[in-house]
Amino acid sequence: MAAESWLVWALIAGMTLIAFLTRAVFILPGSHLRLPPTAERVLRYAPAAAIMAIIVPDLALVHGTLSISIENPRLVGGLVAFALAAATRSILATIVGGMLALTLVRLI
Amino acid sequence: MQRAQISALREGALASAGLLVGIVPWGIVAGVAMVSAGLTQSQAVAMSVLVFAGTAQLAVLPLLIAKAPLWVMIATALVVNLRYVIYSGVLAPHFEHLPRRWRVLLSYVTVDGVFALFAGRYRPDDGNPHKHWYFLGGSLVMWCAWQLSSGIGIFAGAMIPLDWSLEFASTLALIALLIPLLYDRAVTWGALAAGAVALTAARLPLNLGLLAAIAVGVAAGLAVARLGPRNGEGRD
Repeated sequence: MAAESWLVWALIAGMTLIAFLTRAVFILPGSHLRLPPTAERVLRYAPAAAIMAIIVPDLALVHGTLSISIENPRLVGGLVAFALAAATRSILATIVGGMLALTLVRLI
Repeated sequence: MQRAQISALREGALASAGLLVGIVPWGIVAGVAMVSAGLTQSQAVAMSVLVFAGTAQLAVLPLLIAKAPLWVMIATALVVNLRYVIYSGVLAPHFEHLPRRWRVLLSYVTVDGVFALFAGRYRPDDGNPHKHWYFLGGSLVMWCAWQLSSGIGIFAGAMIPLDWSLEFASTLALIALLIPLLYDRAVTWGALAAGAVALTAARLPLNLGLLAAIAVGVAAGLAVARLGPRNGEGRD
């Protein structure tokens, strides 16, 4: 499973650049640059959309095929995690509960 | 350093100490998740220190495991980090009088929690000459906590057997992170639309499905905001 070394280093380099530039984009020029309101609206929706788009296939696809079933451990673990995250807002409870549910479905 | 600067630094540090409960488990999970996704310990440490953006780090790991192309992973890191562009715009007028090396440093250390504390406490035109010390104090606490807890996760992760599926922890951590982001109806519908498209478009080549999902999610969010009553407006 280990990814090729050059790929991981290239990923780290690219992410370093992205992480710095997104934070510095207005701070560093130091002028009175402002974000246009349209861009600000788009930026409100993008992060949540991206995170959900990563989560959902990871839970519901098994080897590329849709698997909506209580026998799919990742789906059950993920749904338990959603419920716990909404109820507790605790990262720890969400992860522990999700991992426990995943393990439980695997064992049964 | 003057007395007022030290006092602002300490106030920032104390205020962000309240955020440690959140960031420490988060850092441990990120550390474990990086190693579980196949990064070597030195790669994981480099990622923690250089990138220093937990959400982006956790978001690319499921993609790395799924062998997504490099550009898709970097594009995803960019989208997840777009919220920092908003923070940068809010912070810029506070820091515009500072020397360049200060602005570089404060850009690098910006994180969600300290941004929220700072933006709630200071106004751009308040003329407070020491507020960047408050920001730095809070950020240093978060930086140290992140690096230490990631380090614990990285070295613990190497000892945990692979068949525990701990790489799933990064997806679970993303769930914990997503819930507070869904603060109004438009954002929620946008995210749900993105999830649905990601599922149906998963077979598109080159992981274009992910980018299509984000585009549709943004469009859906904008549409719901335009149609519906303006609830949650102004909460960021």
